[in-house]
Amino acid sequence: MLALVARRLMTAIPTLLAIILASFFLMRLAPGGPFDGERPLPPETQAALQTAYGLDKPLWEQAWIYISRLAQGDFGPSLVYRDFTVSELVAQGLPISLTLGGLAIALALLIGVSAGLFAAVRAGKAADKTIMMLATVATALPTFVTGPALALLFGLWLGLLPVSGTGEGWSWLTMPVVALALPVSGAIAKLTRAGLATVLKQDHIRTARARGLPETKILFKHGLRPALVPVASYLGPAAAGLLTGAVVVETVFGLPGLGRYFVQGALNRDYPLVLGVVTLYAALIILFNLFADLIYGWLDPRMRDG
Amino acid sequence: MRQLLNRVHWPLWVVLILIGLALILPLVLPWTFDQIDWEAVRAPAFSGSHIFGTDEIGRDRLARLAAGTQVTLMVAIAAALVSLVVGIAWGATAGWIGGKVDEAMMRFVDALYALPFMFIVILLMVIFGRSILLVFIGIGLVEWLTMARVVRGQVMALKQRPFILAAEAAGTPPRTIILKHVLPNIAGVALAYLMLTVPQVVMVESFLSFLGLGVQEPLTSLGILVKEGADDMDMTPLGLLLPGGLLVIILVCLTIEGERLRDIFS
Repeated sequence: MLALVARRLMTAIPTLLAIILASFFLMRLAPGGPFDGERPLPPETQAALQTAYGLDKPLWEQAWIYISRLAQGDFGPSLVYRDFTVSELVAQGLPISLTLGGLAIALALLIGVSAGLFAAVRAGKAADKTIMMLATVATALPTFVTGPALALLFGLWLGLLPVSGTGEGWSWLTMPVVALALPVSGAIAKLTRAGLATVLKQDHIRTARARGLPETKILFKHGLRPALVPVASYLGPAAAGLLTGAVVVETVFGLPGLGRYFVQGALNRDYPLVLGVVTLYAALIILFNLFADLIYGWLDPRMRDG
Repeated sequence: MRQLLNRVHWPLWVVLILIGLALILPLVLPWTFDQIDWEAVRAPAFSGSHIFGTDEIGRDRLARLAAGTQVTLMVAIAAALVSLVVGIAWGATAGWIGGKVDEAMMRFVDALYALPFMFIVILLMVIFGRSILLVFIGIGLVEWLTMARVVRGQVMALKQRPFILAAEAAGTPPRTIILKHVLPNIAGVALAYLMLTVPQVVMVESFLSFLGLGVQEPLTSLGILVKEGADDMDMTPLGLLLPGGLLVIILVCLTIEGERLRDIFS
């Protein structure tokens, strides 16, 4: 277990470095810079700003400086939100994005696993077919359609939930989380259903039935655990999908999370901000994949030394 | 021909009919998608010659829907073909050579799978300008991974089949074996996954357009229409519901059809 974690973290560092460097040089290939606003600045001011932020140094040197500062936990200053450092902006955005993503994945697991379980128990019957059809529809629901549609229905027409912003309490989270969770829950329902269908045909289940164990115990204790292996391996890609979806949801519902900073930063050529967000996203996804692998090993002991 | 028609399942018919409408409507409608009717701004549905009304600056909704569907599907098909070519080339090479090369190539695919690729695409769009060509190259490059995995699996299984071994024993050059014996046999599965890639690509393209990073004005796409509709939904909900609904119908139909084909071929 510890060996797996150590090995994964060892490969995570070069992966992260590669992502950071790739994004760093991609951003710099772009025409336009962070200081060409609406009013063109006088050339002396431009030059002074370039020097102040170290943008006049050779690119490789800038990359080296960036990475060595990053290693000390310093994301650098934001070039557009000039009174803030990237760390401060990220510290504001990260909790919102993590809450959104965390709640969405929890909700998706809850809906997905119970729907898949129910469908598998009713295999071949009308309920099974309906649930699987709904799951297919759910996987095809893009967040940028469901988000505004939910806001229209529950926010504007019924007036039940706030349309944007991060008001008091939990009500502002409801629609963004539901919009994010829907497609993931559909995929999880399908995987659970397919996994259970295979597992329930296996010998150990027949043995359990022959021994006269109650059906619920067979299902939850012996069936569900191995059936969730495909779900666990889907969690990695799901996390990447959720982060992408969060960009839309944060834009639609006006939430100041990481995704909004990423889009704003990219449009304004705020190099350190974009790099900071990409680095964090990549780190989150790598961590989540590791986490998924650990769950994988817990669900299926045969995978532990893989 | 008749046999071919019988094989087409209803979701595909829905998509084909929508494509037909998207191609024909612009020819017969009295308005073009970017033409402004100054007399009728935010006109309700069924007013005069505007069947679905007009948007916030007086452009005919139906004409815009048709134009948007055309662009969205065109980008989707082109990008899916990019992913097909890259995926087959990568997967077939890995599967055919096998061993260390295969392991390295598939590890690379695994690594890419875990990346926040959407963000790299967003960076690409911001950096190299927002041309439609780049949109589908960018999307195609993201979506080839699943295709590569599937094709590799198929090729590895095929490699052990007697007819391939026989061809090899007969001294057929590998190029000929791959082109004449391997590729025709993976065509079915590749087609099924191509069908599943199209809705993925539609989703990505609309996502980019929604953020203002995809197709640019005056061109329009379903993603742009959803965005415009969402911005104006308190005044005219129809502006959001029509393109949103259309997009969901296309995505659902393509997904159902793709999954059906995948189940048939695997």
